[in-house]
Amino acid sequence: MAETSLYVHRATRSPAEAANWDRRQVILNNLRSVAGRAYPRVRGISREKSWLAFEILLPFLSTSAFVFVYRALKAPPEYIGFVVLGGAMTAFWLNVVWMMAAQLYWDKDQGNLELFFAAPMDVMSVLFGMAIGGLVMSSTRAAAVLLIATVLYGVQFAVSQWFLLLLVFFLTLSALYGMGMALSSLFLMWGREAWHLTQLMVEPVYFISGLNFPVGRLGMIGALAIATIPLAVGLDAMRQLAFATGPGPTGTPPPAVEALILVVMTVVFIWVARLMLRSLERRARQEGRLSARGR
Amino acid sequence: MPSSVPPAIETRGIRRVYRAKPKDVVALDGIDLEVGPGEFFGLLGPNGAGKTTLIKILTTLLLPSSGTARVFGFDVATDTRKIRRIMNMVAGGEQSGYGLLHVREQLWMFSQFYGLAPREGWRRVDELIDAVGLSEQRDQQVHSLSTGQRQKLNMARGLLNDPWIFFLDEPTLGLDVSAARTIRELIVDWKAAVEGRTVLLTTHYMAEADELCERVAIVDHGRILAIGSPEELKRRVQRESLFRLELDRLDGGPAVLSRLPGVVSAVAATNGTSGEQEERHTVAVNLALRDDTALSGVVGALGGLGARIVALEKSEPSLEDVFVELVGRGFEDEPAENGQAAPEPTADSAEPREEEVA
Amino acid sequence: MTATSSMTAAAKARENAGRFDPSRVPDTDTGHLWRSFLTAARLGWLMEANWTDPVLFFIYSVAKPLASTFILVFMLEVIGGAAGRDFRGFVVLGSALWAFVISGMSGLAQSILEDRERYRMLKYLYVSPSDFIVVLLGRGVARIGVGAMGALITLIVGIVVLGIRFDIGAVDWPLLVVVMIGGLASIVAFGIVMAAVCMQTRQEAWSYPEAAAGALFLVVGAVFPLSVLPAAAQVLGLLNPLTWWLGGARQALFPGGQTSIGGPGSVFAEVFGHDRPTSGEIVVALLLTGALVTLASSLIFRVSDRRAKEQGLIDRTTGT
Repeated sequence: MAETSLYVHRATRSPAEAANWDRRQVILNNLRSVAGRAYPRVRGISREKSWLAFEILLPFLSTSAFVFVYRALKAPPEYIGFVVLGGAMTAFWLNVVWMMAAQLYWDKDQGNLELFFAAPMDVMSVLFGMAIGGLVMSSTRAAAVLLIATVLYGVQFAVSQWFLLLLVFFLTLSALYGMGMALSSLFLMWGREAWHLTQLMVEPVYFISGLNFPVGRLGMIGALAIATIPLAVGLDAMRQLAFATGPGPTGTPPPAVEALILVVMTVVFIWVARLMLRSLERRARQEGRLSARGR
Repeated sequence: MPSSVPPAIETRGIRRVYRAKPKDVVALDGIDLEVGPGEFFGLLGPNGAGKTTLIKILTTLLLPSSGTARVFGFDVATDTRKIRRIMNMVAGGEQSGYGLLHVREQLWMFSQFYGLAPREGWRRVDELIDAVGLSEQRDQQVHSLSTGQRQKLNMARGLLNDPWIFFLDEPTLGLDVSAARTIRELIVDWKAAVEGRTVLLTTHYMAEADELCERVAIVDHGRILAIGSPEELKRRVQRESLFRLELDRLDGGPAVLSRLPGVVSAVAATNGTSGEQEERHTVAVNLALRDDTALSGVVGALGGLGARIVALEKSEPSLEDVFVELVGRGFEDEPAENGQAAPEPTADSAEPREEEVA
Repeated sequence: MTATSSMTAAAKARENAGRFDPSRVPDTDTGHLWRSFLTAARLGWLMEANWTDPVLFFIYSVAKPLASTFILVFMLEVIGGAAGRDFRGFVVLGSALWAFVISGMSGLAQSILEDRERYRMLKYLYVSPSDFIVVLLGRGVARIGVGAMGALITLIVGIVVLGIRFDIGAVDWPLLVVVMIGGLASIVAFGIVMAAVCMQTRQEAWSYPEAAAGALFLVVGAVFPLSVLPAAAQVLGLLNPLTWWLGGARQALFPGGQTSIGGPGSVFAEVFGHDRPTSGEIVVALLLTGALVTLASSLIFRVSDRRAKEQGLIDRTTGT
């Protein structure tokens, strides 16, 4: 049998001492939990190689389909660029839908959710970790699709403000994943019905986000999308900045304003995520279920 | 442990009701319990007794409908973060984690949730992997582990943060004899390493509770029926001392012994090893004595009768006997309607007639 | 107590077990296969069909297919304006029929993932006496029904709202029936391929069927004629049964309308010497390419099945 010293890891003299953490310990615990939860996603990239085909090659082909539609219509070259940029951002959106929104629901089924709640960290750290891990996973995919399509279809970027473009890109991701965090709690509360709601977040969101055409052409619907869907506003801003010499006014706000919208979205979504997680935990503890509305 | 340390577990009037159709389910119906620091405490009861519900309340996953519960003085309703820093839990049959991770990686992920620094986490993980006997599986993906290996992994996870109180909900469920023994030894060794470490174990394996627990609470239908050490509980139902005596001869038969002082009854033993007895040409007798002190008188009398003792064995009631005594049915039996026990089949009926069944 | 009442359960079972012979296994006949299929289809129906739940009906049969169509219609509007409207019927029909492809490929693949990861039932289905592929087909068939409803609604919206000209009297019904049967069989074959892939992959494969459908979208003339593609891609398209299915359905529903297969300068025109395929050519090509794809899917599934058994993938759970 193992040495008893193996079982003595931390030298706290009493439970009260062990239970009272200072602010530094709390912050470190939460930060480490973010890293801990991101870890499986990052490691998972190398464990199964099928994503090379299904998350790079096939999305590239799917994007190419829309490129050829525009070619068939003899569209200006900037529209090819729109489609390519939209195709690259799709990787992030699908990651948010499938690997953020639905993830806590899967975790509940596997018994992980219970352990997350029983651990000392804030469960928001788990959500942040999921987001960061998902972001790393998707970045490789998005970059690959963007690069291959740009080279193959001769997309010409005309970037006027690099700093703003990069800022908008990161703000889009933060707003997207903030939304994913909010959705993950909501979907957990709604159980199997939420599973179906993820379906609503694919093609319908592609449409009203203007994934393949300028969202300003949708009029009021486009305006609503810009106000509520990070993909719509981020993509529109990035298009305006990446194809600065492109077609004239798009009927949408200028990129700087859209960047501010993204900042607000990020803050709101993360705040909503925190609120919903707290509500979820309270309901789950009161009603005796790990999801407040289980199926 | 200083006397100023509050009880490891203290509950007052805990009730937990689940809303269900057609009728609400009362999982816990007024539980009063106190477990001292450093105790190895068992909750014993059949499925549906309320054991897991109580553990969920104490591990802050569930709120009681009424009553209070404290873990080392911290309230389960309001001091959840503090309790989570000093406790851990492992359930039997747990399949948590992410299948594609290696054993080492899975444990490291959890070490970060419990606040260990990254390097400290890897070191601790490697120590625990060796301690639980998963050294050969350290780089194996979690989904490929066997049931026993999976449970060892769960135990290692439970020990990552050196909890002051360890909640074990049927930890050996579904394990083979060897794996279950390893788990039990691990728990005992871990607890012994530091004074004040407390374990709350729920189980419906009587032998496990008997072996490990210093005190046991027998639970059924959300109520505690009895609390005490296994020996105390068994003494409640055992009014006499029971012995099985094997003799080389007994002239006059068991009736001779029944006349001795302190002997309540002496009957010929008919169970089990009559074949072996025949081979050895011995006689077996089941003796019921008023208490252990009467045994010396019996032994002396046997000498006078010219009988030699070949074997002497003391029988004790099991904790299931205690349960049956308290509730009127075994762990596996369904409760009879209206609280009445099902009648014994009569000597001349093959099957109980319908009208005899309650 | 009598001897009977003191008998153990095992002894009682042995007494009553006179006629039980475990070595006698009933043969698996066509009736058994059909029953397995129906049972699995009914299960799939109960799990997937959402006719009575308006929210789910809206999501799967209205929102998703219509959104896909509107994306294309708006692309046309943005670029083509009035000229684009002539192309609208082409695009709407292709997009409507694509609902079959997505639902067919997703249905079988996601049955595998759900049963393995969520319900943990896959291993029990696998070891049951029923043929695993038959059970899978049954489970996936309900989703194709959902796709059919989506396709119909999209076509109706296209005709009523988007102004597509449609003459029901001009429809070539025999051609339509034949190509729909051949096309659906091919879709099921592709679905089997996706199911085979999902047996090997982890939980994140939920999006793979739609990704695969998106890739096929490129080479089958769904929303633009094949002649727009490079020659090599056109050849790939001509070897795909879905190309002939879509071309045949277009020809049947909108006789004389724009063809997705031929056209001036297309590989088809160069090889066959005329711009438009005839109905006979479409049917023969659909049957030939469909047979090839069905054979390939069967082989792929068998390989996947064996590998899954060798590697112990049937009952694993994954997820990150």
